[in-house]
Amino acid sequence: MRLEKSLDQYYVLQIAGTVSIRLSYLITFLILSVIMIGGSLLSLQIGEITLSGRDIWQMISGQHDLSDSQVFALETRLPRIILGFLCGGAVAMSGAILQSLVRNPLADPGLFGFSQGSMVVIMLLIVWIPDFPGYLLPAAALLGGCLVALFILWFSGGRQGNMLALLLIGIATETCLSSINAVLILYAPDHLSYAISRWMAGSLFGADWQAILYFLPWMGASLFLALWLGPKLRIYELGEELAMALGESVPTSRRLILLSAVLMSSAAVTAIGPLMFLGIIGPNLARFLTAANGRAFLVLSAMIGGILVIGADMLTRSLSADIALPVGLSLILIGVPIFILVCRLRHLRYDG
Amino acid sequence: MQFHFKLFGLFCGLVSVFFANLLIGATAIDLSTIVAALFAFDADIYDHYIVVYQRLPRALIAVYMGSMMAVGGHVMQTLTRNPLASPASLGINAGATLSVIICAFLFQLDQQALGIAALIGAALGFLSCLFIARATGGDQHPSGLSFILSGTLTSMLFIGIAHTLLLSDPVKREDYLDWVMGNINHVYIERLDSVWWVGLGAGIILLILARPLTLLALGREKAASAGVPIHIVTWTALTAVMVGAGSAVAICGPIGFVGLVVPHMIRPFFGIHLWAALPASAMAGGSVILIADIISRTVFTPYILHTGIMMDLVGGLCFAIIVRKYYLKQGRQQLS
Repeated sequence: MRLEKSLDQYYVLQIAGTVSIRLSYLITFLILSVIMIGGSLLSLQIGEITLSGRDIWQMISGQHDLSDSQVFALETRLPRIILGFLCGGAVAMSGAILQSLVRNPLADPGLFGFSQGSMVVIMLLIVWIPDFPGYLLPAAALLGGCLVALFILWFSGGRQGNMLALLLIGIATETCLSSINAVLILYAPDHLSYAISRWMAGSLFGADWQAILYFLPWMGASLFLALWLGPKLRIYELGEELAMALGESVPTSRRLILLSAVLMSSAAVTAIGPLMFLGIIGPNLARFLTAANGRAFLVLSAMIGGILVIGADMLTRSLSADIALPVGLSLILIGVPIFILVCRLRHLRYDG
Repeated sequence: MQFHFKLFGLFCGLVSVFFANLLIGATAIDLSTIVAALFAFDADIYDHYIVVYQRLPRALIAVYMGSMMAVGGHVMQTLTRNPLASPASLGINAGATLSVIICAFLFQLDQQALGIAALIGAALGFLSCLFIARATGGDQHPSGLSFILSGTLTSMLFIGIAHTLLLSDPVKREDYLDWVMGNINHVYIERLDSVWWVGLGAGIILLILARPLTLLALGREKAASAGVPIHIVTWTALTAVMVGAGSAVAICGPIGFVGLVVPHMIRPFFGIHLWAALPASAMAGGSVILIADIISRTVFTPYILHTGIMMDLVGGLCFAIIVRKYYLKQGRQQLS
């Protein structure tokens, strides 16, 4: 492992032969990791019962005689934080994949209709088969998302369709599916309709170790797929024609890339509901921090998405118990001001 | 000259659909009863009561909603030069919806204030659509496509927040859920009574601006060289559209589809000249919503489907068809 200066005058960390990381990406990643760990520790303290820093230290240093409130924090808060981070990361990475694919900073699993597709399938299952086993729900959500992706691919003209058409057909599908959602919300019995709306707003209340266990295999599979496809995304960012010219078999790899995006978003939707706008904010913040592309871009977007969800969860829990602010809403309260700020700064950077 | 016949035809169509809307329903009421109810109202006759207090308000709201949305869509498509623009796809409807929900749930305002909130929200919705398009650097796109993307995104975000806010008060949620989904209901007639002049004013302003707007459709430079004050015309027209669409949303909630599709139905017959095309759009829009209202009331009996939901479903399909027509063929040519 050694530090080198690459041809384009950036410092690059060479690890074992051909693998190399640009130093600026590595530093950004490390800073984000520190923020993530710090945020998680802070988040463990905050809530109905406030813990002190020493309580937290006792918990992580592995002492056995923990007080009730410490056990409580371990059993309820830690799963929320972990699941929130994983889901936020998944949604943001899914957004990053799609944005690289269609070369548009506004692509997002919600805009493509993937989250809506997953939601419709899950809702139909909730309404028709109330005792559907929980561990199969991610598979059902994946099925819904894949159906949407297939429909988009087919309707936008199969192999010949361009990326822009893919996005626009996605919007059309999203509109249709949301009207089906509306029917379910409106005509389901009151308590069910309320529950569905709650879940659509995004909630971490159901988070426990079991939920994480259901979520992990899907997350692992999609992470593997995304990191494997990462280098291809760099080629796609040059444009579809150029990707073809560089020998990329566009029809095949495009399907695989879409599949990985669907996998991520549907797993997250099942676990805590659709996180609105996160698929846009995460990648755009990552693009503001570094000029990363390919794998580094995916990983950094995911880190930022996860940190934002941890922050949103903290906001939700620091408010009093009377205001049950859904995570989706606190995510917007945190994320949108940052997004606006970053956009202004970027304008200044380019104009000034 | 030739437009007069077409406009007259559309007007006849609107009137006949209007009467059909009064005729058809859970109980069929014949034409003579309707005419009698309209011109010699007798409160003791049950059918008269239904016509005047239930069906007539519905039909009037439908016409107002349809014409505002269709005119708004036509002007928006002219200004952005994009076939997918409409009040719904540029965030106007969603902005008005969210603003009304925020004011009703967080500030407990009364009905009059909610109308004003809808107008302000419509403007805010459109401005945030513009902001997101500009912030992500997409406003340079010549055909205004990034406005459609950012508008859809804004709409999803605002509607999502509105639904989340609805959760905060389960009792009030029951009252507002129908409205959020876009529902034409006779009890909303008081709202129409208090805002109809807004829509009329917006329509008149747009008609006055018809000539400069038509020139703008040819391109900004050409319009400027023909002596059109571009900025004043654009922003006046946009304000009129936002106010008109916002007032319609204030009455019966967001209803999509009409603003997107009606301009495409009108353009082949009336060309690009807005002086004739705007009234035509208004009448066709009214007719379309009247027909949709009939369908949603009768096809799924005993259930009554919300007009807004049905329009979303149809609107999504039409959006896909328009994309196929305008974007896919070009894409094929580029590739081949």
